[in-house]
Amino acid sequence: MARKILLNYSAERVQEPILATVIKETGLTFNILYAEFTGRGGEILLSIEAPDQEVDKAIELFRKKGVEVREIKRAIHLDRELCIDCGACLSLCPSGALFQDKDNTVMLDEDKCVYCELCVPSCPVKALELSRF
Amino acid sequence: MVNLGKTVVNKSVDEINEKIRRGEAVVVTAEEMVEIVREKGPIGAAKEVDVVTTGTFGAMCSSGAWLNFGHSDPPIKMQRVWINDVEAYTGVAAVDAYIGATQLSETKGMEYGGGHVIEDLVRGKEVEVRATAYGTDCYPRTEIEIRVTKDDLNQAVLCNPRNAYQKYTAATNSRSETIYTYMGTLLPRFGNVTYSGAGELSPLNKDPNYETIGIGTRIFLGGAQGYIFWEGTQHNPTKALGTIMTVGNLKKMDARYLRGATIPKYGTSLFVGLGIPIPIINERVAKTAGAGDDEIRTNILDYGVPRRDRPVIREVTYAELKSGKVRIGDRDVPVSPLSSLKRAREIANVLRKWILEKSFFLTEPVERLPTDEVFKPMKQAVAVPFVRDIMTKEVVTARPGDSIASAAKIFAEKGFDHLPIVNDEGKLVGIVTSWDIAVAVATKKKKLFEIMTSRVITAKEDEPVDLVARKLERHGISGLPVVGPSGELKGIITTGDLSKLLRR
Ligand code: SF4
Ligand code: SF4
Repeated sequence: MARKILLNYSAERVQEPILATVIKETGLTFNILYAEFTGRGGEILLSIEAPDQEVDKAIELFRKKGVEVREIKRAIHLDRELCIDCGACLSLCPSGALFQDKDNTVMLDEDKCVYCELCVPSCPVKALELSRF
Repeated sequence: MVNLGKTVVNKSVDEINEKIRRGEAVVVTAEEMVEIVREKGPIGAAKEVDVVTTGTFGAMCSSGAWLNFGHSDPPIKMQRVWINDVEAYTGVAAVDAYIGATQLSETKGMEYGGGHVIEDLVRGKEVEVRATAYGTDCYPRTEIEIRVTKDDLNQAVLCNPRNAYQKYTAATNSRSETIYTYMGTLLPRFGNVTYSGAGELSPLNKDPNYETIGIGTRIFLGGAQGYIFWEGTQHNPTKALGTIMTVGNLKKMDARYLRGATIPKYGTSLFVGLGIPIPIINERVAKTAGAGDDEIRTNILDYGVPRRDRPVIREVTYAELKSGKVRIGDRDVPVSPLSSLKRAREIANVLRKWILEKSFFLTEPVERLPTDEVFKPMKQAVAVPFVRDIMTKEVVTARPGDSIASAAKIFAEKGFDHLPIVNDEGKLVGIVTSWDIAVAVATKKKKLFEIMTSRVITAKEDEPVDLVARKLERHGISGLPVVGPSGELKGIITTGDLSKLLRR
């Protein structure tokens, strides 16, 4: 499964091409799940699909460049046994992690999840569960 | 059956049943029928197809079950009864009770309710029954506690006063806050749309003239065979909002098609699986049974306006709703179905299988359902007043750049607690309370914008006051500024205004 890391930039760092440099130096592909910049700095949530050591290396690099890095250790689970495919969760999911396939089966692509947790309480049969570890 | 005019193709239900018996009946699902009618036209389809099966699987709050517990020794005339801490209605004979889907557990609240009790019974789980009574000469016992499964009950009958809405309106929310409704969680500023009903699979949509569906019609109910025994409550066929009352043996049902549910911050309900076979007796029925999602329309209503007649945002087809995105203004808004299309389709297929296996035969209605009924609103003795009627219109306001000291003076002189802060255009940008001022005096802050609350909870002029009372209570505050459509300040409503109303 892809690992997710949250980058926190200070205002001074926002201008620097840090992300591009790390991509170049590690040769990894990052999936940007969301990014937000304000006057006070910025936040980027990345999803990285790569062997653990390489992800660790990327984290090191970000830290060296003055970016605060936090790994998001959460997991979301859709229990297909309980799910009734009602779709109540679909329009609440901002990331497209919850989607419907051709025959209207509701599915979860955890790699896209940003752990907003909007879907969990909306499920009428408690088929969605979020765990932290 | 009914005389709605001459038709070219004419088949009776008996003839169709005979074909089923001989294994010659052509049975298709409603989705397949849409294609067939499109290809062959209603007459061609009516000649070819004998039965169209439909299905829906959605939360149907107006559902419940009659249970009979048998007599204890010494006997008890149950006056109040709880099943797994969910109260059931027992204002009937000694040991009969009705467990309703939306009744909440007295210990678990919205986590568990009547719908869950029904699911647990269907699953064969043991439930705890607790009853109290006043005791009579013939029923001396005043208390009892037993554990039973459905097998211990004499009868367990699913009996739903209103099921299978022909179609239903879709919902969205114009307000600036998330709201929790029976139409699910509605995100702020038209953030999503929810809808219910299976569109072209939905049973009553397929025979909107009630030519073949009526009292006595045998149906798929909760995984077993059940019946329609009356029109549903609020049956409103003239507006294409017909409903049915249904009944069936709970003991034979399957939890796959009967699931307890919790609608967030709204309450509990029961997902009911229901399917009706439509005998294709003529081309008129073939045509309605073949209506596609692109022909079935409903309105998207603004649930942000808490009134009985909610404003229509726009009309929409089920085809657009099922696409997962609906256009509102210049945006594509994500859509959630609240009933399961997948399981609706599964029900239509199961029903087809039963018919092909000759374990399910069609029925001719004993009596027709009314087609001219209208749904009356509640007769209310006193109309609920609106914010407009009781709000204070002359409001003292301040600007964000005004000093805290000047505001303190206003509070002291006028003796009120809320000071709305407006910008040059008269739009509300914040609020300051006397409490904020009291706290600010101890700090170095000087201007109102430093201490004002800018995420203000507001009311609208056409909101009923009881809703305002709920907002005040929920947020633990004592007043709400009233704003117009573009945020301009119109007045203020406080707990004081509300209590004046009570004294009136
Ligand atoms: S927590 Fe749920 S709603 Fe939020 S992104 Fe993940 S799957 Fe989607
Ligand atoms: S809300 Fe729950 S039951 Fe409905 S589709 Fe989503 S996960 Fe499945």
